[in-house]
Amino acid sequence: MNTKKLAACLIFVVLSYGLPTAATAGAPTDQMKSTIDAVLEILKDESLDEAAKDTKVKGLIADRFDFRNMSQRVLATNWKKATEEQQTRFSELFPEILSNVYMGRIQGYTNERIDYVGETIKKEKFALVETSIVSPSVEIPVNYKLRLKSEGWLVYDVVIEGVSLINTYRSSYKEIAKNEGIDGLLARMEEKLSEGA
Amino acid sequence: MNCETKQIYIIALVTGLYCSGGAYAQEANPWQDSHPVGDRIYLAQVSVPLPIEEDEQQEELDDALEEEEFEDEFEDEFSDDEDLFADEGVAIEVSDPLQGFNRAMFWFNDKLYFWLIKPVARVYRIVPEGARISVANFFHNVATPIRLVNAALQGDPNGAMTEFSRFFINTTVGIGGLFDPAKKHAQLDRVDTDFGLTLGKWGFGSGAYLVLPFYGPSSVRDGVGRFADGFLDPWYWYLWNRDKKLEFVAVKAFDKVNFFSLDKDTYEGIKRDTLDPYLFIRDAYMQHRQAKIQRPVDK
Repeated sequence: MNTKKLAACLIFVVLSYGLPTAATAGAPTDQMKSTIDAVLEILKDESLDEAAKDTKVKGLIADRFDFRNMSQRVLATNWKKATEEQQTRFSELFPEILSNVYMGRIQGYTNERIDYVGETIKKEKFALVETSIVSPSVEIPVNYKLRLKSEGWLVYDVVIEGVSLINTYRSSYKEIAKNEGIDGLLARMEEKLSEGA
Repeated sequence: MNCETKQIYIIALVTGLYCSGGAYAQEANPWQDSHPVGDRIYLAQVSVPLPIEEDEQQEELDDALEEEEFEDEFEDEFSDDEDLFADEGVAIEVSDPLQGFNRAMFWFNDKLYFWLIKPVARVYRIVPEGARISVANFFHNVATPIRLVNAALQGDPNGAMTEFSRFFINTTVGIGGLFDPAKKHAQLDRVDTDFGLTLGKWGFGSGAYLVLPFYGPSSVRDGVGRFADGFLDPWYWYLWNRDKKLEFVAVKAFDKVNFFSLDKDTYEGIKRDTLDPYLFIRDAYMQHRQAKIQRPVDK
């Protein structure tokens, strides 16, 4: 039962009314909220067609997520083993996949409430924003790990019910790369993306 | 199998689990000595929420060995700024020697879902969501003994008391467990635990990953846990043990269908979005269990 809950990867909740319930909501929470609220706006906008919504939302995600960092961390040791060409290709494919996953999941949670449960900042550069998706039947803790960069606070991992997406993707991709090589992994990713298109 | 053979078998299994726990725990054990690499000091494995440590000397993190190598080799600015929240989301190495069997079971469960559960759940969704949530609440309430006993076994008297209070309030005020006033008005949250977690807290490693038919992702330890919890399950005593085995299966099936009717496309989402759903679910499941075990008793 829990496994199904947790396995809902990248559920970004859309909030109607953003009421931070955390004691102090600092910059990381604010920025996270602004992205989520903006995504909500777009998804609820009747005047846009699906393609336009898709592009806009992905743009917002790309601004808030440190995709380059996430790509490297997902490939991990394979990053070193990959050729530059493979690295580039992966850095293009993975964010696409991640965004698609996100888009796919967010549709199901547009009416849920999101509680901002807490925020922790370490060394002024790392932040953990804890949220909770509250739906009638379940409550799902979703935490974002952010890092302060010149563009603002960027997400480098999402932890859902104790499951780090980076870790999970890394494990899966490592196994695929081990069995089919990095090219095999890239081929599978491209196949997956063309499936969705 | 006669009695003696059974006993030997059980002892062997228990010993094996415990030993594997030792080996396994070393990879994910947060309380080992720190591994300062260069000037970096790793953080302790803490649960959600993460408090700000005052004394950073005491912060430790035991990452998987490959992770450390990776961080070492990484030259860009990220290597200096270690993932200070590495404890959020545990890094584990999954043992999956039974992958052939597991993938077969995975395939079986997949078919079961698409051919049986999903069609029924789809029809069942006609029932208003409120009612279906009440059904879920009811089943959850009935399973209180499992959570209560295991909380106690884990040395969590508060958890046990919470579950007891929840049961009392929800059964009375909540009309037979259909509603959850304990949470709504008394702020008593669920204490979700089971014997697999109890074994984990006692030091047993998860053992090999195991996909069970019908039940889905599990592990050797969690499978044992599930079996043991059966004896705490009221349905078992009320139905299965009183020769109402068909009714027992029906009740369990109903619970499952009801659950999936409320679920938002999770499994199909994973199938759609991931390259290898089997691997994804495996790793997510193992991480999730480990995270629950490492969470300190008083949240």
